[in-house]
Amino acid sequence: MSEIEINSPVTGTVWKVERAVGDQVREGDVIMILESMKMEIPVEAETTGTLDRIDVVPDDSVNEGQRLCVVKS
Amino acid sequence: MDDFQETAFPELSFRLAESKKMGGPAAIARQHEAGRLTIRERIDKLVDQDSFREVGALAGTGSYDANNRLVSVTPAPYVAGLAKIDDRPVALGGEDFTVRGGTTFGSTRRKGGQGGFIEDLAFHYRIPLINLIDGAGGSVTSIKRRGHSVFPGVHGFERSVELLGMVPVASAVLGTAAGGPAGRAILSHFSVMVNNTSQIFAAGPPVVKRSLGQVIEKNDLGGSKIAVDTAGTIHNAATSEEDAIGQVRRFLSYMPANVWELPPVQESLDPIDRCDPQLATIVPEKRTQAYNMQRLVRMVCDKDSCFDLQPSYGKSVMTTLARLGGRPVGIIANNPMVYGGAMDVHSARKQIHFMELCDTFHIPLVFFVDVPGFMVGLKAEQEGTLREGMRAVCVAGKLRVPTITLVIRKCYGMAGMATCNKNDVDLKLAWPSAEWGSLPVEGGVAAAFRKDIMSAPDPAAREREIEAELKPYASPFRTAEAFAVEDIIDPRQTRPILCEFIALAEQRLRTEVGLKPRYGVQP
Repeated sequence: MSEIEINSPVTGTVWKVERAVGDQVREGDVIMILESMKMEIPVEAETTGTLDRIDVVPDDSVNEGQRLCVVKS
Repeated sequence: MDDFQETAFPELSFRLAESKKMGGPAAIARQHEAGRLTIRERIDKLVDQDSFREVGALAGTGSYDANNRLVSVTPAPYVAGLAKIDDRPVALGGEDFTVRGGTTFGSTRRKGGQGGFIEDLAFHYRIPLINLIDGAGGSVTSIKRRGHSVFPGVHGFERSVELLGMVPVASAVLGTAAGGPAGRAILSHFSVMVNNTSQIFAAGPPVVKRSLGQVIEKNDLGGSKIAVDTAGTIHNAATSEEDAIGQVRRFLSYMPANVWELPPVQESLDPIDRCDPQLATIVPEKRTQAYNMQRLVRMVCDKDSCFDLQPSYGKSVMTTLARLGGRPVGIIANNPMVYGGAMDVHSARKQIHFMELCDTFHIPLVFFVDVPGFMVGLKAEQEGTLREGMRAVCVAGKLRVPTITLVIRKCYGMAGMATCNKNDVDLKLAWPSAEWGSLPVEGGVAAAFRKDIMSAPDPAAREREIEAELKPYASPFRTAEAFAVEDIIDPRQTRPILCEFIALAEQRLRTEVGLKPRYGVQP
């Protein structure tokens, strides 16, 4: 069982959170969508596993490198 | 070494055997405990089997008994020589950390480092140079032996600098590098370091503590997180020494031996007429939705041919050595996932290095363009994005190597200008999803038609009205109609078209080999 942290690639805001804690996710699934520089940035699961926690809610400001969620696999 | 040699030339045999002992079993064990290989193990892993021809194995410090008979030799803390990588000759060398921590050796002629024999070998035989760096340069202990201190630059970087325009230079930082060896690593076309076991800095923790009172651990000061991901001091990070050495070999596989040759062409197993159907749908219709540019580039290039330089630094642009139809190419692709692909100070710096690298070694460039412009905002201005961005435009403007510009989506403003080469045929291709201009219609309308908008009864509605009026003109087909972009292509056809033009570029490249002239001041 390993925990994989997904960090924000950009500074911006959280637009939509598409999945919930406890959800099963597969590699490439979109967990949430950020907005930055007028672009929608999909945050994808890097591995298959269970969404263990989500650190942000819509409209939150996030910094580059900030943890967004954790996937347990 | 064989039995005959031992009998016929006992002193030679003895001295060679001494050199193989390096710093002795205890020092070698310490090196291994630190998770590092010895210099001789590194060389073994790097070069083709049995191809290492050492030069200078006898250099060292002999110890003699009362009758002036040789007792033992401590080898010089630098191992150097010739070898082959993929059957092509290279010059290589590295500090032996097990001998006095790899500090500079005060021999009559320097073996390694800047101005050392190893650089002369690469220079005079026009072959690539590989530095396996594991040392901190000069030591204050030498001041006593010498009787005076050395003026900076007596063993200068002139030769190192000259090599950058002549032969490929790759450096692997495999231990803690400061001082001369750290500087040497920077003067390379490609550099790599190992996560956790290597560090690089201008000066290490003890000096930092004395100078600034800052107490900081060496990995926090100069580990790969700082030197590679944050600062871009070193190009790539590796997970192990084997990985770092593999990356050096990989890098060299795209490079010619020197600037008078063309890069090596391999037979391509991937058909040049392969058209990936996924290319037709990879760009989302909604223009504000990001997509995976890395995946896109890999669909076009020869299978498994992509090698990313600086993948963790300046991430809004990707710089990738790859092959099209077996021929090396340099791919510069904007990454819409990171700030919409906007060029910031880091991505500009990364793109500049990559353009200069490819231009020097006659590797044609292909730009996969999706750039909304320079990065904006206070931080971007403080960092000097405009200046570094214009340096990218300046370097792009001086390119001599053939270049293809392929616009995937956005190509705006001055950052867009850094994706074209007007010294070449200036072939600008585009996908139907492309859009371009000085600035996007949306942002531009409010500024350009301010009076018109403000005097309207419903300004917001008027703004939308003008936008809608101008929108059709932004279609890439209007530009193609005016032959201001040379072609718009079916995305699935990208690979065959690029392969054809890259193959054609070879004729032209042949006529332009050799040293590149020096230019005046860059902005």
